[in-house]
Amino acid sequence: MSVLCWGRGAAGLRRALQPCGCPGLLAKEGILGGVCGPRRSSSASPQEQDQDRRKDWGHVELLEVLQARVRQLQAESVSEVVVNRVDVARLPERGSGDGGPQPPRKVQRGATGASPVPRSGWAQRLEKDKRIQRMHMQQLEVNLQMQVQSQSEELKVWPKHLQVEPRLLSKQLAVFLAPESSWEEQLPRVLQEAPRKLRLTVGRAPSTQAQLSGQQQKLLAFFKCCLLTNHLPLAHHLLVTHHSQQRKQKLLTLDMYNTVMLGWARQGAFRELVYVLLMVKDAGLTPDLLSYAAILQCMGRRGQDAGTIERCLKQMSQEGLKLQALFTAVPLSEEEQATVLKAVHKVKPTFSLPPRPPPAVNTSKLLRAVYAKDGPVSYPKLHLPLKTLQSLFEKQLCVELASKVCVVSVEKPALPSKEVTHARKTLQTLRDHWEKALCRVLQETKNHLEVEVHKGRFSLYPFLCLLDEREVVQMLLQVLQALPAQGESFTTLARELSARTFSRHVVQRRRLSGQVQALETYYRKYLHLLASDTKVRRAPPLLLAGASPDAQLSDHPVPQVPNPCLPRQYWEALGAPEALREQPWPLPVQMELGKQLAEMLVQATRMPSSLDNRHGSSRLVPVLYHVYSFRNVQQIGILKPHPAYVQLLETAAEPTLTFEAVDVPMLCPPLPWTSPHTGAFLLSPTKLMRTVEGATQHQELLETCPPTALHGALDALTQLGNCAWRVNGRVLDLVLQLFQAKGCPKLGVPAPASEAPQPAEAHVPQSAAPARKAELRRELARCQKLAREMHSLRAEALYRLSLAQHLRGRVFWLPHNMDFRGRTYPCPPHFNHLGSDVARALLEFAQGRPLGPHGLDWLKIHLVNLTGFKKREPLRKRLAFAEEVMDDILDSADQPMTGRKWWMGAEEPWQTLACCMEVANAVRCSDPAAYVSHLPVHQDGSCNGLQHYAALGRDSVGAASVNLEPSDVPQDVYSGVAAQVEVFRRQDAQRGTRVAQMLEGFITRKVVKQTVMTVVYGVTRYGGRLQIEKRLRELTDFPQEFVWEASHYLVRQVFKSLQEMFSGTRAIQHWLTESARLISHMGSVVEWVTPLGIPIIQPYRLEHKVKQVRGGIQSITYIHNGDISQKPNTRKQKNGFPPNFIHSLDSSHMMLTALHCYRSRPLCRRKGLTFVSVHDCYWTHAADVAVMNQVCREQFVCLHSEPILEDLSRFLVSRFCPNPTPRKISQCWEASQLKETLQAVPKPGAFDLERVKHSTYFFS
Amino acid sequence: MWIPVAGLPLQLRLSALAGAGRFCILGSGAAMRKHLPARNRRGLADSSPQLLPEPDFRNPPRKASRSSLDFKRYVTDRRLATTLAQIVCGKPNRPPHLLLECNPGPGILTEALLEAGATVVALESDKTFIPHLESLGKNLDGKLRVIHCDFFRIDPRSGGAIKPPAMSSEGLFKNLGVEEVPWTAGVPLKVFGMFPSRGEKRALWKLAYDLYSCSSIYKFGRIEINMFIGEKEFQKLMADPRNRGLYYVLSVVWQVACEIKVLHMEPWSSFDVYTRSGRLENTKRKEVLELLQQNLYLIQMTPRRNLFANSLTPMNYNIFFHLLKHCFGKRSATVIDHLRSLTPLDAADILMQIGKKEDEKVVNMYPEDFKRLFETIESSEDCTYKWLYDDTLEDV
Repeated sequence: MSVLCWGRGAAGLRRALQPCGCPGLLAKEGILGGVCGPRRSSSASPQEQDQDRRKDWGHVELLEVLQARVRQLQAESVSEVVVNRVDVARLPERGSGDGGPQPPRKVQRGATGASPVPRSGWAQRLEKDKRIQRMHMQQLEVNLQMQVQSQSEELKVWPKHLQVEPRLLSKQLAVFLAPESSWEEQLPRVLQEAPRKLRLTVGRAPSTQAQLSGQQQKLLAFFKCCLLTNHLPLAHHLLVTHHSQQRKQKLLTLDMYNTVMLGWARQGAFRELVYVLLMVKDAGLTPDLLSYAAILQCMGRRGQDAGTIERCLKQMSQEGLKLQALFTAVPLSEEEQATVLKAVHKVKPTFSLPPRPPPAVNTSKLLRAVYAKDGPVSYPKLHLPLKTLQSLFEKQLCVELASKVCVVSVEKPALPSKEVTHARKTLQTLRDHWEKALCRVLQETKNHLEVEVHKGRFSLYPFLCLLDEREVVQMLLQVLQALPAQGESFTTLARELSARTFSRHVVQRRRLSGQVQALETYYRKYLHLLASDTKVRRAPPLLLAGASPDAQLSDHPVPQVPNPCLPRQYWEALGAPEALREQPWPLPVQMELGKQLAEMLVQATRMPSSLDNRHGSSRLVPVLYHVYSFRNVQQIGILKPHPAYVQLLETAAEPTLTFEAVDVPMLCPPLPWTSPHTGAFLLSPTKLMRTVEGATQHQELLETCPPTALHGALDALTQLGNCAWRVNGRVLDLVLQLFQAKGCPKLGVPAPASEAPQPAEAHVPQSAAPARKAELRRELARCQKLAREMHSLRAEALYRLSLAQHLRGRVFWLPHNMDFRGRTYPCPPHFNHLGSDVARALLEFAQGRPLGPHGLDWLKIHLVNLTGFKKREPLRKRLAFAEEVMDDILDSADQPMTGRKWWMGAEEPWQTLACCMEVANAVRCSDPAAYVSHLPVHQDGSCNGLQHYAALGRDSVGAASVNLEPSDVPQDVYSGVAAQVEVFRRQDAQRGTRVAQMLEGFITRKVVKQTVMTVVYGVTRYGGRLQIEKRLRELTDFPQEFVWEASHYLVRQVFKSLQEMFSGTRAIQHWLTESARLISHMGSVVEWVTPLGIPIIQPYRLEHKVKQVRGGIQSITYIHNGDISQKPNTRKQKNGFPPNFIHSLDSSHMMLTALHCYRSRPLCRRKGLTFVSVHDCYWTHAADVAVMNQVCREQFVCLHSEPILEDLSRFLVSRFCPNPTPRKISQCWEASQLKETLQAVPKPGAFDLERVKHSTYFFS
Repeated sequence: MWIPVAGLPLQLRLSALAGAGRFCILGSGAAMRKHLPARNRRGLADSSPQLLPEPDFRNPPRKASRSSLDFKRYVTDRRLATTLAQIVCGKPNRPPHLLLECNPGPGILTEALLEAGATVVALESDKTFIPHLESLGKNLDGKLRVIHCDFFRIDPRSGGAIKPPAMSSEGLFKNLGVEEVPWTAGVPLKVFGMFPSRGEKRALWKLAYDLYSCSSIYKFGRIEINMFIGEKEFQKLMADPRNRGLYYVLSVVWQVACEIKVLHMEPWSSFDVYTRSGRLENTKRKEVLELLQQNLYLIQMTPRRNLFANSLTPMNYNIFFHLLKHCFGKRSATVIDHLRSLTPLDAADILMQIGKKEDEKVVNMYPEDFKRLFETIESSEDCTYKWLYDDTLEDV
């Protein structure tokens, strides 16, 4: 009977499978199906209504079947349970999808499959009865299943084998599970099946990762990770278990199915592939390009016959998917692409890969000169020959493969006393113990997590398998060693651990996938561009030389390399395959993984309670403690090391520090930036744009914008990173000398914590009065706080100096990336040119330049600038001053520590000293013009933010006060504002305003300086008042009781003066603020594009805490910044827009200058000049200052000659003004207001921008 | 019940006239002025020669104080004032203590106290009351001193410049001629007042820190505090394991530090409640209705003489606080679990020493148990490292 129904039902279904447009009905039916799912049918499909002939027969049959089924179930419910109790071995069978419940389901489905829609009264009654009966039966079955399931969970520890065969909800698909023909035959037929039902595509097809729920993100990451760690059966198992439960199936997306399918395709496992495909169809999804890529790949691997492939391709084109797109839109590795191609060639032997599009060239007007075809032929060379560069590359590669760098600490080495040796030995013993314990705990955890997956639950198992166990253990021990004495917040530690795991994983993957060899090949070729002893012809000949691994791909024509050849263009022209992109894990996975690792560390590490006890009989105590810290209402979990362990570390005073590879400057030129995720470090992943934790929108924006738009930024960053550095040894010696003695806080060399003041009385007798004790406690707390602060300063300096010492005598590079506004930063955090005075003084250009005719003068001016003595004097006076104090300069250079110490009085003492030495060397040289200088000379923008505002608004007065207008003496905007305020004050005083009279003689540059400076960065009246109040309080002779009133008055006057002087500025600021406010009100965050083409988005949204990882030591709560469904934070959007916009302009100016500097012709014969920047402070060799100044001014004029505000307005209108206008009236009004505001661009003044070119003090 | 009106400042007079209850409760001063009907103001101003106080811009009222729940409560009923004066001053044959009265307001209670023979220092945070209060002490040759000061803002913990009505205890007590006395000596002075209706908890915490660290007012000895406190906070303050639902950190802190006596109870329902818009008659606001069903308790908190007798001292009190916060952070857990995060010592051993079982829950520990627990660990001698605590764990 059941067999009969089976066949007929299937036939009927086949007919019913034509897509029918009645999703609502179908969906309802699906719900009726209840938990047991399999009983859903397509009986409601209208097309079956007219199958009258079968109707009666069907009913009779149905009733019979139902009754039989009830009897059967009743019988089974007893017998099965009994059986299960007795026979455990039968249980796993249930899970395999073909077990107990299958036959009855077949009966059921076949029956309902034929049920027509009744028309007459009796039929309705019957229908009703039937429905009731069905419901009863469903209930029964559900109960039964639950019973069995709960039992099975108790009985079996975990199923011994993984599920392979899916349990399908749709019967017509289930046919394919038992094929009459081979799996290969099945495939095209499955493809032709229509999806089971139309899913609501709106909710079900999230386009980006950010739109997935946390659980979905975790699942997807799990599947991807399984692919990497060869746990495909596990992934398949989880997919099947999720698919077979309706509630869990909702979590699955096409991406997840595709991922598993791809995994099977790589293995050429046809049966499993078809299983997944069946599930895709069963879930109501339509295979997309990725699915087809997997299918074709699998067929390519199996050497499938042409017929099957042809049917596949046909089906593909029927679904509107283009064959070409397989090779352009799907990220496949070369080998995979070749396999797919092999399959395609069987059917279409003539098919050829779509030609690689020729490298597009940026057409922005600002960059036209940079990318012009007739520029200089070669890129500026480094001073090093090819051989040296290649060996440097080897070194850097080794460092990155090891993921860590051991550096000798510059702390004074501890004397080898007995104590120290003992401590080191103890530490070593402990570490050996911990290593073993960690290994064991890691294995236990992995076992436990694997069981979780077997039970059909997500777990971190594959993520823990990514790295070699030893490597994980080493990483954990390294973290333990670096843990600060006062502990580290648990969340931070978890983040750190998962980040390190990810970074190591990427490196390892690149190593294993042979990318390192490819990198080596291409990098060696790339070095020809930079090395001093190689020539690069117009079209790099290297491209043709040597058999590159991508033999198939290189058969298309050599791309035309535009000249001049920038590093990025050169790299692209070499045809290096793009490095495999590793998607960072979603935040929930990161946090969970980090947490798991941290917990293992806590669990595994133990030490004897008293370390002095040599018998080892004392009990073991944990090394790490989970302590809570209480801050206001917050309770923060902290991992704190045992004080005895801290003490032990201190006594042992181990002489090495361990850094992550990415925290150390590079030993070879960084990889050129070629895309938002490739560049900088050789292997370690680096982001082009640094962002807050978990925010993905920036990266997405960068990925989706046209590649040419980013060229400017990519090339500028590459340019900055290509500057070679070296350590100034003489300065380092002096700093180390101070550091290893007692430090010198006055000169910025922190003292050791042992130098912190000690409380007068270390110990009070027990009998002392409580008040006395209280006093002592306060003193003690003060001292301890100071000691802690000193300790952290000292540690920072220790890192910096140790790295400097480590790099002494070497050439190194600082790869750069940028923040979300385009401002550039060096990646290595501890030692770079953005740091303090000491850090800057320690660095100099590795490449020297002869001073030339004017170089020495620039050196002297730079020296005077660094002292800060002659800020408001013209250049020639500064020069004259340098001559005046030449004696002091030479004295400082010769005997810095013993002489008159003139340099110590300077504003930037260490840089002054370095400059003194350089000047002394140059002066004493027989021919100063030929002296080769390595010292960077700085040129600073004077109040750069206001300069940009003044240029935007073409304010004549404002422009003059920030040196856009040529002038003999440098203008000082702060004095200008002070003078203007004074004018207003005098007027008010005459009118009899009391405050104005009070303030007579108190309005100075100093009082207004901070406010004026920060106005550009969006300081409000409130903040401005606080700043001025602070200044007034510092004035001893000002009557303090008037401070509030006076500061209130002054801030108004300062704003008024600024408005007067920079009339355009305030208007622009106001316009920006208002626009941002309205955009935010419409529910969007502000976005814009810099003149260079970098897309920018303000990430400020209303914070929203996600309580995430529960259980274990503590639950972790974190803010999910990537959540783009959150409403924008209007206040931050509004206050942030003006300063961020100005920053995006100043970064554009810097990048333009950097890009144009390389192709300008300095006075000597060499081409290109060295250029680095600290935001609005530009550095170059003394010989090239004049050229750089010229470029800098020209580029400023070029930048501001563009209709920047009009472009911004146009962009914002097109981006944020809804078209067509919204339906709701309130929204309509808001939209029109927004449009009106956006289009009301402030009118510029009459300042002639060209005059900037002749202004000496614009940057000086 | 009738009180002399002429000398009273403007805003008070209104409420005093209208207020029939035993307390009178005022909304914040600025708000009252603003919402006064103009006619009324003029009419009253005629009989009062004082100028309207200038609005003080330097300390604009905080937003929080605008809340209609932010009342100021004053004793305006003479009978109650007399009762309270008797309670606070104690038996007539004892030498009277110096008494600090916080926010006396209209001064009804002040008068009663003076009549009872006490020497009173009135610390008034609202400037408008000060002239009237000063007039009360005219003929008493120094038995009453009036100072513009907010008792709850003496030595603010936030640091920074101290502007009136905030004050430094050093200056205040020097001005009053109060000398420091040792902890074990008697009570140097008494304080009478009411906890601010909002922020009772904050005030309690501040006082607790001051007390344990022997700083601020407690630098001068074991100062006795008599305060009215709301019912809710009162119950929590007095809670112990028998009442574990309300038991929390402050209960332990205060019960360990002080002897707490309940002197008097006064139901809210007999008061008139004043909000910004005047007297509140039939309210439907839930918060106010809830308040009206509660009582106010006058409690006396005398620091224990033996508080610092053992190893708990002003040197290590913050570790004790941390221990309590940690324990009550997860109060359903066992003590031993918390001990493992607090000290590297053997937790089971410690529990045995204080005679507790290993599975003792936090909420089953009496305040004195906590003190004993702390002192046991603190005085354990065989170990160098007793605590994992350091100052970074807390923002003091």
